[in-house]
Amino acid sequence: MLAVALLVLLVLSPAIFIVQMSFKSGLEAFQMPPTFTFQVTLQNYADVLQGKFLRALTNSTVTATVATVLSLALGVPAAYALSRARFRGAGLVSLWTLSTRMAPAIAFGIPFFLIYKELDLIDTRLGLVIIYLTFNLSLVIWMMRAFFDGLPRSLEEAAYIDGAGIVRAFSAIALPLSAPGLATTAIFTFLLSWNDFFYSLLLTRSEAVTAPVAIVNFMNYESWEWGKVTAAATMIMLPVVALSLVVRKYLVRGLTAGALKG
Amino acid sequence: MALTTPVSKEPAVASIAPAERAAPGVWRLSTARLTRPSWNRARQRVFLVFLGPSLLVLLLVTILPLVFLLATSLTSLDMSNPASLRWAGLTNYREVTRDGRFWNSVWIQAQLSFWTVSLQVVIGFAIALLLNGRLKLLGLVRATFIVPMVLPPVVVALIWKVLFTPDISILDWTLGLLGLPQPAWLVDPRFALWAIIIADVWEWFPFVMLMLLAALQMLPQEPLEAARLDGASRWQVFRYVTLPLVKPALVVATVFRLIDSVKAFPHIFIMTGGGPGTATEVTNFYAYLEGFSYTYVGYASAIIVVMLGVTLLMSLVALHVARWEVEVE
Repeated sequence: MLAVALLVLLVLSPAIFIVQMSFKSGLEAFQMPPTFTFQVTLQNYADVLQGKFLRALTNSTVTATVATVLSLALGVPAAYALSRARFRGAGLVSLWTLSTRMAPAIAFGIPFFLIYKELDLIDTRLGLVIIYLTFNLSLVIWMMRAFFDGLPRSLEEAAYIDGAGIVRAFSAIALPLSAPGLATTAIFTFLLSWNDFFYSLLLTRSEAVTAPVAIVNFMNYESWEWGKVTAAATMIMLPVVALSLVVRKYLVRGLTAGALKG
Repeated sequence: MALTTPVSKEPAVASIAPAERAAPGVWRLSTARLTRPSWNRARQRVFLVFLGPSLLVLLLVTILPLVFLLATSLTSLDMSNPASLRWAGLTNYREVTRDGRFWNSVWIQAQLSFWTVSLQVVIGFAIALLLNGRLKLLGLVRATFIVPMVLPPVVVALIWKVLFTPDISILDWTLGLLGLPQPAWLVDPRFALWAIIIADVWEWFPFVMLMLLAALQMLPQEPLEAARLDGASRWQVFRYVTLPLVKPALVVATVFRLIDSVKAFPHIFIMTGGGPGTATEVTNFYAYLEGFSYTYVGYASAIIVVMLGVTLLMSLVALHVARWEVEVE
């Protein structure tokens, strides 16, 4: 038991180190050996939020939320159709999911960059939302299809017999029953969008910069202000850790989307 | 028309036969509706409407850009001088095969992939075995282990950037305390790649651990007990019973880590910038530099197309092997 506790501590220590650093004042942060009793200060957080970082956090929240809603709106009906009807080439969608998952981000980054320059979508939140569809939409289709496959069809068939149409059976029966699946999928797409670094680096300049890229800008232009950097890092990791604990049971399933059946 | 109306779903009221109109409840409550050809057609139509928008969007955001990438790779596009845009045929590809820096980047990626995946599998498997059977606090322990892999990659990179920076790092201090060498990890060409490897292993060994822990917990108990009763040592039980039974999960986890091992971009961007020299410049990162630092987008596209082709081929082979393994078991 002690071994396990030590192991947990060892694995988490890098993250804990960063978090404790964000609550220390300038000089204390770099004292070695690290001090475990120190004056907790929120100065770093106050400093970070006074700058442009607040705007970056807003950008991250807005783009990740809109990207999630959009990919669910498009992907959930599609997943339902794939689950309930037989289409020739449905296997292709699965292969498609997998291929987009394997492609390194830069494979989409270059063409999107060139197209966005023509369309004036560089440095816009809309541009980010659209490119996030490259990974979000296939993820939603794949995850929700698995959830719909797990629902018994008999309830919908009973509704058909009672005169309900396909749309009504979907919205009044299948959708409410798959609420846990919807929540899980929504959290996944939100996390993937929130964690994105590469597309934001490539496609934003100043207006639409998201939090992960804004942190890097701290480092470069304010010459390693570790207090601020660690405070900003703590702020963007907290929602992620909280949300992923909610979906931890489905984590592996989501991360292997497309390759494993069921 | 009038003859076919009774089986049609359209509310063509005027032409419905009086008998049907008189008792709508009768046909509504019968399953006959579900077997009518018109119902099937209507159903198929609705499903197409459900599916259509997604397929269209997928086409627009995934297939179209890849075609565009392919086209760009056949041009001499230089962003600092767009007027110089010419059709270049296969020139870029010929250039790639002769580019020493490209081959260097492939070699670095190979080392990175090999070490990260091997270490993740060994550490992940070992911890899964250690945790297996200690059910009391397992849920809690498992929850803490997922933290590294869900953190934003930028945060992972920052954490390790701090830890590998001498003077401010607890890692540096601990090594000193133990009397071990304290290398300047990120600026020493001998250690820079290892710094990236360590960060990546920390981030992703939990993935292997979670998959294997799940597999271990689903193991049937009979073969294990039978082996023990037959006097097998712990090592023999592991080698001849446990290992073959969890092999499918092991293979799948390895394949996934291998596929994703080409995605260490944020770590390299933040921790080393590809340096020192080109010591940590993987192909992905080299293409980024060619395209966005040196503005040779045409050439960068060709590198990516080559890389995409190779990874796709390798992943398909690997997945094929993985599926085959899973089916055999």
